[in-house]
Amino acid sequence: MKLARKPLKLGILFSLSGSYGMLSRASRRGALRAIDAVNADDSFGFTFEAIQRDPAGNIDLYAPLCREILEEGSVAHVIGCVTSWSRKEVIPVLEKLGATLWYSVPYEGFEASDHVVYTHACPNQHLLPLLGWVLPRFGVRGYLIGSNYIWGWELNRVAREVIQEAGGEILGERYLALNDTDISRMIEEIRVTRPNFVLNSLVGVSSYAFLKAFADLAKADCYFTPESCPVLSCNLTESEFTEIGDAAEGLISAGPYFRGAKGWPCQGVRDFGSSLEAASWAAVMELSQLLRANPGLETAPISKLLSVNTLPTMINTETHHTALPVVIAQVKDGAFDVLELWKDITADPYLSYSEHLPGVRLPSLRVVK
Amino acid sequence: MKVRLHISDLSKMRIVILHRPHATVESLSRQCKPIGVQVLDCWPELPRNVLAADFVFFDADMGYDAQFPWNAGEAPMPMIALIGSEAPGRIAWSLSQGADAQILKPLGGGGVFSALLIARRAFEVRQSMRDEICVLRGRLSQRQTVVQAVMLLAAAGRSEDEAYALLRHLAMSQRETIEEAAHKIVFDARNEGGLNG
Repeated sequence: MKLARKPLKLGILFSLSGSYGMLSRASRRGALRAIDAVNADDSFGFTFEAIQRDPAGNIDLYAPLCREILEEGSVAHVIGCVTSWSRKEVIPVLEKLGATLWYSVPYEGFEASDHVVYTHACPNQHLLPLLGWVLPRFGVRGYLIGSNYIWGWELNRVAREVIQEAGGEILGERYLALNDTDISRMIEEIRVTRPNFVLNSLVGVSSYAFLKAFADLAKADCYFTPESCPVLSCNLTESEFTEIGDAAEGLISAGPYFRGAKGWPCQGVRDFGSSLEAASWAAVMELSQLLRANPGLETAPISKLLSVNTLPTMINTETHHTALPVVIAQVKDGAFDVLELWKDITADPYLSYSEHLPGVRLPSLRVVK
Repeated sequence: MKVRLHISDLSKMRIVILHRPHATVESLSRQCKPIGVQVLDCWPELPRNVLAADFVFFDADMGYDAQFPWNAGEAPMPMIALIGSEAPGRIAWSLSQGADAQILKPLGGGGVFSALLIARRAFEVRQSMRDEICVLRGRLSQRQTVVQAVMLLAAAGRSEDEAYALLRHLAMSQRETIEEAAHKIVFDARNEGGLNG
């Protein structure tokens, strides 16, 4: 007779609406698919029941809703949050209740919380390789834009240092509040300053408005084609193409996965819609494998789970970040086309080791254009 | 591409934690690893090579002056206080040791990275001000020499303003301070028997 599988609760905290709802929905989809996969697999001695809450893009709802999930009864793990701002909001709740957040979207680094597992890329896995690839090919004169919070600020700060180190120039740096779509001033400055590239760290609807306006600019002025002045992004994924349409064509992005890529994530299926779906799938699968290998620790803090675990895991026990592939890809005919790929790049959230990371052979900064 | 990012050049730094074995030390060490710094913890004595450390975290609750091989307030590296009791006496003692930043106990999941950066900046500002004050004190002590040099130069029929302008010009052309130029003039005059001679 088969033993009954133990039901475990798993928190899901994604905003289904709001300015970055598409990203949240993609992340949630990956998590729910992984839960279904675990529940359909008898090799796991437990099943997951999703305990879901929807902050609807309201920053002040994340902490109370996270607490509500955790207090529902023996919930030790939550997957969720898209913005760094919301992640910072829930960390005190996690610390207080000894729980763990699985955070599965790209972020700006400079954090290694004992209560968070980071399953998407940090700057040495997105921005540094992206600039390393772009600067020698397109030039060192950049224009930086971003949403007006920590993701945009910190990405642009690192970009500014890298560009200046390369002898380049920042022609402008502008920010928009989340939800703001008034991009006319940015577009006008870009038209006048004629940079070699635009680093776009806008999130959600602001980014869609920018890309559409930039595509219009390219139609009016052939300098702004992807061959001459590409738009770069570390956060745009396929999950947003339906909103953007043709305007994403030519955009160059960096991430651990693009639709159709081989390799990561290693557990089973491969047909993810975007890296967000892949990273949240990987988060739930990784958690379930850790729990299967270490029975009795279902409600333990992640640090405890990792310290006794002997199963090979993608999570670094010191940083709680994940070794990931780094893929540079460009949008062609509505899909990302891979330009360059590095395997198994260790996360370096404080950019302490990125000068001598094995595997990242960044091209020298000779400008060929 | 060589990437050298200024804010995070803490990697390879050596950190000494002066605190009895405790969860605080574990949490500090855990936070230090991703930052890339090397950690050594000790209690109650500092290791002999503490002078080679780049930062010292010290226990503000149980610490005492004799633990440090330097005079209070003269640590040669940034100091970060680990404060449990916020009693005024312990804060006063931490300040007397020259705490450049502090972290409250019990430690949460963060705080070390910003404490390191803030302490380093505070220490650097203090050091550079100390150096500058030292230089200014030296120059102040040579006021009499400057007055003597101006008098010597004025003795050749120049007004006081003209004599001072000439002294400045001499200093600038030799890339020296006014005090150094004045010292040479007075020294030469003494040798020639021109001053009080």
